[in-house]
Amino acid sequence: MTGLASPRTRATNRAVILIVALLALVICVSLWGLSVGAVAIPVDVIVNTLFNLDGEQQTYIIMKSRLPRMVLALLAGGALALSGAIIQAVIRNPLASPNVIGINSGAALFALGMVLLFPAIPQVWMPLAACLGGLCAAGFVMLVAHYRSLSAVHLALIGVAVGFVFESGVDYLLITSNDSESSAPMIWLTGSLWGRTWSHVGISWIPMIALSGVALILSYRLDLIALGEATATGLGLNVPRQRLIMLFVATMLASVAVAVVGVMGFIGLMAPHIARRLVGGSHRLMLPVSMLVGMLLVVLADGIGRAIAPPIEISAGILAALIGAPFFIYIMLTTASEQEP
Amino acid sequence: MSIILAGVTAGYGRDRAIVENIDLEIRTGEVTVLIGPNGCGKSTLLKTIGRILKPRSGSIHVDDLDVLRNDPKRVARTIAYLPQSPVVPTAITVEQLVGYGRAPHQSLLGLRSAKDIELVDHAIATTGLEELRFKPVAELSGGQRQRAFIAMALAQDTPYVMLDEPTTFLDIRHQVETLDLVRQLHDAGRTSVVVLHDIAQAARYGDRLVVMHAGRLVAEGKPADVVTPELLREVYGLECEVYPDPVSGTPVVTPK
Repeated sequence: MTGLASPRTRATNRAVILIVALLALVICVSLWGLSVGAVAIPVDVIVNTLFNLDGEQQTYIIMKSRLPRMVLALLAGGALALSGAIIQAVIRNPLASPNVIGINSGAALFALGMVLLFPAIPQVWMPLAACLGGLCAAGFVMLVAHYRSLSAVHLALIGVAVGFVFESGVDYLLITSNDSESSAPMIWLTGSLWGRTWSHVGISWIPMIALSGVALILSYRLDLIALGEATATGLGLNVPRQRLIMLFVATMLASVAVAVVGVMGFIGLMAPHIARRLVGGSHRLMLPVSMLVGMLLVVLADGIGRAIAPPIEISAGILAALIGAPFFIYIMLTTASEQEP
Repeated sequence: MSIILAGVTAGYGRDRAIVENIDLEIRTGEVTVLIGPNGCGKSTLLKTIGRILKPRSGSIHVDDLDVLRNDPKRVARTIAYLPQSPVVPTAITVEQLVGYGRAPHQSLLGLRSAKDIELVDHAIATTGLEELRFKPVAELSGGQRQRAFIAMALAQDTPYVMLDEPTTFLDIRHQVETLDLVRQLHDAGRTSVVVLHDIAQAARYGDRLVVMHAGRLVAEGKPADVVTPELLREVYGLECEVYPDPVSGTPVVTPK
């Protein structure tokens, strides 16, 4: 019996070590991220500042400018990765991500529409507008799926189509707005943490942490739903209801993230795949690991974006895709051969 | 002690009903095999019994349990259902898959009790999967996969097991292996309902055959009583000769 149990224990130990290592890596990269930018600050000064041991000009830069965007990068990276992992389980399609059911473009359209068309509305409402947009897109896809009881593939295809509709709406808004500051929404749409402040953290941290908690609680049910509708129903799961709850959580997570950091579509696709490769498909391990991978990717991308050519910044969304894509392709190539029956 | 269907009509979406007005009793302790031509509604009927598909009308009772008016988890503790080609989840090991069979007995978080672990071990041992225990299901051969899914249904520890064409896509050796496993379930006191295409296999492994044609039951009873040239002509539109299997003595069919 012990002989049989040992690989299981080994797998669990491996996962625990991996999670601790990832966590350490996230912290290190975050500290590094705080040190780079237009003004380079040594890491020891940052640590002193964070623990309130220092009080100078650095304190201002760190506490007012870099720390909030770091916190946002962590929150948004985790949220996008979780959202992607949930959607991949529900749609059972490796290409699925928040983009695929139109969430990102829906959220972007509503948030952008609010900023450009109703500039009087305070920015605090932006996550709400984004959530409405995300829910509109995902809600439409789910409604169609509900009435015609569609397969997962059809769900994904309709989602892609809905995404395109919302995307053209975004393009239309960008072209027609005569706003002299219209480059700001442009930067936001490529997925950037530029100019983020504590007020952005203030409007997003509660929903993001609450939703992440719900996602982690749902992790075992995600395992069941990934077995397909028939098997999951046979195991006593109310599949339509669970699917709705899961997609709702995923939609809200991605929408709030889009509201504060813009569209970083790649994170939601990539982080879950990397996590699955690292710890397997059981969501109780895969979800927290995806979340950490998502955080790492966004923090790293944001740090590199500021380190390359200060004071110029490159959007984290662009860099996340640039750094992540080769790694992602590598993972796909090495798993593809093993997955064949 | 049995599953009793009364006036069950079922179908998909707004389309025409696939099975109509079915009255059927599935007796405890028997292997019941559903046979019939393609599209006759046997899979749909099995799904309806397993509560994967809600019937449009009629009632299904298991012992005293009203299947249609009960909590799905409670039903899943009574009836296990295995679809014809179950989705193979990515990066899930055999042990994890078999563990999912315990879901109807667990809370939302799926934490395993000592009993869960014991039943998972037992299911893995019964299906001979010990050596593949930590292998991803996606890397198994067709026959091994089928065993892994049957082990999941075993771990579900239900008195009733529904299997939809468990032998499809398997070579003859793995077909026999799978059907032997069904007989083993029977010997362990479980009642199973199996959809099969092969009439000879159905006759050999089933205690009772239920024959369907165009959404209705046309015959049911012991294999030797049911499998006759007249019935095969009526249901499959095929002239056949029926003779006893040299090994088991059950009816075998050869088209003329």
